[in-house]
Amino acid sequence: MTTFIIRRLLQSVVLLFFVSILIYIILNIVPGGPFDMLKLSNPRLGQSHIDRLNALLDLDKPLFPGEYCPKVAGEQQPCRFDQGRYVRWLVKMVQGDLGRSWTMKPGSPVGPLILSRLGYTLLLMGISTFLAMALAVPIGIYSAVKQYSVTDYAVTALAFFGQSMPTFWTGLMAVAIFAVALHLFPTSGVRTSGMEGDIVEALSRVFTLGRTHPELAGQEWPTIVDGLRHIALPALVLTYFNMAGWVRYTRTSMLEVLRQDYMRTARAKGMKERVVILKHGLRNALIPLITILALTLPGLFGGAIITETIFSWPGMGRMQIDAIANVDWPVVQGLLVISAFLLIFSNLLADVAYAFADPRIQYK
Amino acid sequence: MAATTADALTIGPASISKPVSQWGLAWRRLRRHKLAMIGLGMLILIVLLCILANVLAPYPYEDIDLKRPYAPLFSVGAEGKPMHLLGTDALGRDVASRLLYAGRFSLLVALITTVLNVVVGSVLGAVAGSFGGWIDTLLMRFADLMLTLPTLPLLLVLSSSLRQFVSLQNLLGSSLSVVIIIFVLVIFGWMGLARLVRGSVLTLREQDFVAATRAMGGSQARIIFAHLIPNSLAPIIVAATLGFGGIIITESALSFLGFGVMPPTPTWGNMLNDARGAPLEYLFTQALSPGICIFVTVLAINFLGDGLRDALDPRLKM
Repeated sequence: MTTFIIRRLLQSVVLLFFVSILIYIILNIVPGGPFDMLKLSNPRLGQSHIDRLNALLDLDKPLFPGEYCPKVAGEQQPCRFDQGRYVRWLVKMVQGDLGRSWTMKPGSPVGPLILSRLGYTLLLMGISTFLAMALAVPIGIYSAVKQYSVTDYAVTALAFFGQSMPTFWTGLMAVAIFAVALHLFPTSGVRTSGMEGDIVEALSRVFTLGRTHPELAGQEWPTIVDGLRHIALPALVLTYFNMAGWVRYTRTSMLEVLRQDYMRTARAKGMKERVVILKHGLRNALIPLITILALTLPGLFGGAIITETIFSWPGMGRMQIDAIANVDWPVVQGLLVISAFLLIFSNLLADVAYAFADPRIQYK
Repeated sequence: MAATTADALTIGPASISKPVSQWGLAWRRLRRHKLAMIGLGMLILIVLLCILANVLAPYPYEDIDLKRPYAPLFSVGAEGKPMHLLGTDALGRDVASRLLYAGRFSLLVALITTVLNVVVGSVLGAVAGSFGGWIDTLLMRFADLMLTLPTLPLLLVLSSSLRQFVSLQNLLGSSLSVVIIIFVLVIFGWMGLARLVRGSVLTLREQDFVAATRAMGGSQARIIFAHLIPNSLAPIIVAATLGFGGIIITESALSFLGFGVMPPTPTWGNMLNDARGAPLEYLFTQALSPGICIFVTVLAINFLGDGLRDALDPRLKM
């Protein structure tokens, strides 16, 4: 087992290295840079100005190690070897420095910028993932135990619908029905305008026992309630979508288990049906769900691009889209590498957890 | 060789009833699958409606009527013009007509993408599986690499940045966004099928009929294209059908976010993007119909795909 984990870890590092190269190439091979907008808005800005600005950001250097022939004030300088932008970026990233933002917050470090959005994504994804799991597992199990009943058909149909409805449509319809027509929840955002702070700040104040955000003193509770009203619709949309897949998965897994010989043996021993289902059935049916649980990890931190966009939720997904629209490649690179890392890590975690939970699995 | 085969056939017992092929059996199983038949019927209806868009649509899709923005359902059109069955959008364009044309583009993009995914995926998968060795390792590691990349953000990056290439703009003109979206969806879409075909080829290539082809001097290309791929068709069809639904959703998502097919070409996704920009009181009517189109189409495909899986590959029953 230990050798398996070590080998997989080494493979993951190699994989992550190639992923970072691929991401860097995809982002940097196309024309266009951080000063496109500046150039459009200011026609007096000449190419020489743009060149100077690009040189400040190392953008005149080659992508990969190779010859670098700088031009200073239009004059050709002697060529020399340069390590290239990719290597420079990689070395810094390994040291924990993701570079500086180009356009979203020009000059400020990408790492803290991303961290400032993490709380919002963790909150939204945490609530919806937890709700989806808590609902999907019992519903899926019940549906499987009562196979071919009316409930089973209804559950399967609802799950099928949920998987066929894209979140960008359920999101818009949720806004139209629950926010616009029924006035139950706000349409988007994190807080009602005029509020001092938002739910993430209030929660951080609660968890640090009042050491942060002194401006929220005494306002924690109303702020959290207001935040929960804002989170309700995006959480509803994400919960339904995730639930649909997981209900089907749990149901299939349970149906598979119900057919096994050990279930018949358990019944033959004279155990109560309840005990057979819950103790022998459920525990085995839950093993495949470990994979699903581990694979929610990238989403938990990476956020949901579409849902966060519809509801103007300032999380990582929303940041991703804003960064792409603003050609802020350092931010996009940072977010992409973090997502790829989480994906690789959660795959590894799923395999290891699976091996612990199911002794039939043998890794070499 | 041919003579012995013929002899063997005449000597063997005469078949009593007409033999049923593997595909005939699958079709019988599929016909008994109620949901799959409902899905197939819905799909045929949707495809027909979209193909006949130029006959059925009461208006051309780019026909602007600035005097009637956001007209409600069943509202009367301009004098001497047909009724706006599903109302109009921000520019007074007839929603029903746009939906029909949008369906054409959405379905066409998904169809071309699926076909290309199947071609690229099966060829790469079959090559990896039948050659083995370093080719297999290289292709499958590359597939793993592609599967590790965060898909949606990179789709957004690629589709927005490929547009910057001036040479592409000159070459493709107004169809640029459609070509780009197909291209990026294939780049990120072939891996699943490649893995599937490789797995199927790995079991097939050890079988006697492949050895026989090789013994008779059949080339590697002949083995791949005449034997390995056709025998892997059943799982390919199932995966492609279910993938088709996924592609419709992804294309709509990209167009919805403003990174996919660009207006004035309508797709269900960019109609939803328009709906998002509408004043809130019109949001419901504007978002309802394009969303239902996506939902019903994907639902029909999922029904059909599920039925196909049960019919073609009973082992994979879910």
